[in-house]
Amino acid sequence: MVLADLGRKITSALKSLNNATVIDEKVLDDLLKEICTALLESDVNIRLVKKLRENVKLAIDFDDMAGGLNKRRVIQTTVFRELVKLVDPGVKPFVPVKGRPNVIMFVGLQGSGKTTTCTKLAYYYQRKGWRSCLVCADTFRAGAFDQVKQNCTKARIPFYGSYTEVDPVVIATEGLEQFKRENFEIIIIDTSGRHKQEDSLFEEMLQISTVCKPHNIIFVMDASIGQACEAQARAFKDKVDVGSVIITKLDGHAKGGGALSAVAATRSPIIFIGTGEHIDNFEEFKTKPFISKLLGMGDIEGLIEK
Amino acid sequence: LFSLFQSLVSGKTLDASDVAPVLEKFRDLLIAKNVAAEIASKLCSSVETKLIGKHVGSFEGVTSVVRATLTESLMLLLTPKRRLDILRDVREAQHNRKPYAITFCGVNGVGKSTNLAKVSFWLIENNFRVLIAACDTFRAGAVEQLRTHVHHLNALHPPEKHGGKTMVHLYEQGYGKDAADIARMAIDHARKHTFDVVLIDTAGRMQDNEPLMRALAKLILVNEPDLTLFVGEALVGNEAVDQLVKFNKALANHSNATNANTHMIDGILLTKFDTIDDKVGAAISMTYITGQPIVFVGTGQTYADLRNLDAKAVVHLLMQ
Ligand SMILES: Nc1nc2c(ncn2[C@@H]2O[C@H](COP(=O)(O)OP(=O)(O)OP(=O)(O)O)[C@@H](O)[C@H]2O)c(=O)[nH]1
Ligand SMILES: Nc1nc2c(ncn2[C@@H]2O[C@H](COP(=O)(O)OP(=O)(O)OP(=O)(O)O)[C@@H](O)[C@H]2O)c(=O)[nH]1
Ligand SMILES: [Mg+2]
Ligand SMILES: [Mg+2]
Repeated sequence: MVLADLGRKITSALKSLNNATVIDEKVLDDLLKEICTALLESDVNIRLVKKLRENVKLAIDFDDMAGGLNKRRVIQTTVFRELVKLVDPGVKPFVPVKGRPNVIMFVGLQGSGKTTTCTKLAYYYQRKGWRSCLVCADTFRAGAFDQVKQNCTKARIPFYGSYTEVDPVVIATEGLEQFKRENFEIIIIDTSGRHKQEDSLFEEMLQISTVCKPHNIIFVMDASIGQACEAQARAFKDKVDVGSVIITKLDGHAKGGGALSAVAATRSPIIFIGTGEHIDNFEEFKTKPFISKLLGMGDIEGLIEK
Repeated sequence: LFSLFQSLVSGKTLDASDVAPVLEKFRDLLIAKNVAAEIASKLCSSVETKLIGKHVGSFEGVTSVVRATLTESLMLLLTPKRRLDILRDVREAQHNRKPYAITFCGVNGVGKSTNLAKVSFWLIENNFRVLIAACDTFRAGAVEQLRTHVHHLNALHPPEKHGGKTMVHLYEQGYGKDAADIARMAIDHARKHTFDVVLIDTAGRMQDNEPLMRALAKLILVNEPDLTLFVGEALVGNEAVDQLVKFNKALANHSNATNANTHMIDGILLTKFDTIDDKVGAAISMTYITGQPIVFVGTGQTYADLRNLDAKAVVHLLMQ
């Protein structure tokens, strides 16, 4: 499971608190060191890790607290709360509405898995009885339209695109018009890969977003991404109104910690994860249950709620 | 008295307590620059080993000594131990009437096919004829992607510019076929039709995917390419380590035990270098693990965006 390894390390670090007879600053420092190393090895953004360390340290006052039990509980709940913050932006995800067109635009870095994930999402809704379709507004990547065409044909998903039109804004507008007219409910717009260093690409994304007025913009992130994720995710959010995150390629060895910084930077929840190249290698993601399962810390969550 | 005298005139001798806190800061710096955590730690401990017991002048701060030593280690790491000269090797193969074959492999979406097209462009500019073997028979659009590149490349370098010869061709058998077979047929085709180079595009695969890793090892075992490039993206974090360890291991494990020259990764093609600003650490992680050179750096999405690694610039960005 995603981040499972990380979860195990953190849980065992927290459990070691129970073995310590006295809980002093040294015990806390050792614990934090262990947790922070685990986070850094999973690519969690180093600034977020440092923040987590500071916040936990701030929450514990060694002079003030009397019993060891109390300290233990404060440490555990603070660590838990800080971890929750990494995954949970506290924002409700977009929910499509039946019987009207819901326009969903995909954006992200080159090769992150947008096109593959577009088909997965269309297929996911199609199987649930929604009328879903796909518009290929990537006119840059060689073979982009063929990729969409082949994927959609296999999954029997209606698609729109062009071999000759070079302006993605035109394609997006036309495709959207056609599918709205035909009363589709889930209209997904695939776009080219782009990065913040190239202004013209970001301008193009803004234009597509302006004419399509998507109900939701999904930022697609590769699970293996490292420390560069944060700045990219922030730049995407600054340019267009990103509302959700999908992390792909979690079938590999990657823990996806780098991609988590996209959650903080875009203040958007993860809604799905990709777990393979096939169309059904796709799972819904729910933040809260994920965290308690991840950390096997249902009891601690209970503590917070008290 | 003697030790007191020495410390007055020539500074002091470094011990762990001097070096450790400074190295901690540099380790965090390396991690922030996207060097894999494990490798950042290893680099720092080797610097520690080098420095403990060393005398430093009284005006030399510990920080600057650590910085200099770490900079030196990083430079050394990025400086190739052997010079890979592809153009020379292609010329030699040409002389022996044998096409020079390069395999591009790596995980999904890192830029294998695009950078293969850039390498084609570079070879064509050097007047070599290239056959591209479409051995990704899985991913939708993979073959058409290469066909589009071949079309563009031939438009940029039309036969009129090259004595009537078409400089780049696509060898493809559509989808679903065995990649190793197609590579073999492509190499045969190249030999018969006097292509100088065969560039083998392979499907992206996760390093833990046993059947796919086995298939890649088979392709390399059967076809014995002259060069196997691992394509990795500069965006990758700690995964760089696991990717390279397992790609290498797969090639070693599945290769023929009786074959003396086991084919491993010969070099790295580092892509998307234009997307990471100063977070250039993946270059360090990848060379540390393989000990192999970064042969090319991909710096954009056009054919001209292929460079050599500038080790000095990378180290400068890292240490900023
Ligand atoms: N293993 C695995 N591979 C995936 C997953 N999602 C996508 N991929 C693969 O990642 C590669 C890139 O996917 P694409 O969908 O083409 O990526 P993209 O973001 O559309 O790429 P550009 O349009 O060029 O920016 C392909 O080989 C996909 O098969 C996943 O969840 N797991
Ligand atoms: N910015 C930037 N983008 C790049 C670079 N190299 C490749 N890309 C982009 O990355 C995306 C994926 O490239 P591909 O060549 O299809 O990747 P691949 O490794 O062949 O992908 P699969 O075959 O699906 O595994 C495309 O959008 C490329 O244009 C680079 O150096 N810089
Ligand atoms: Mg795409
Ligand atoms: Mg490819």
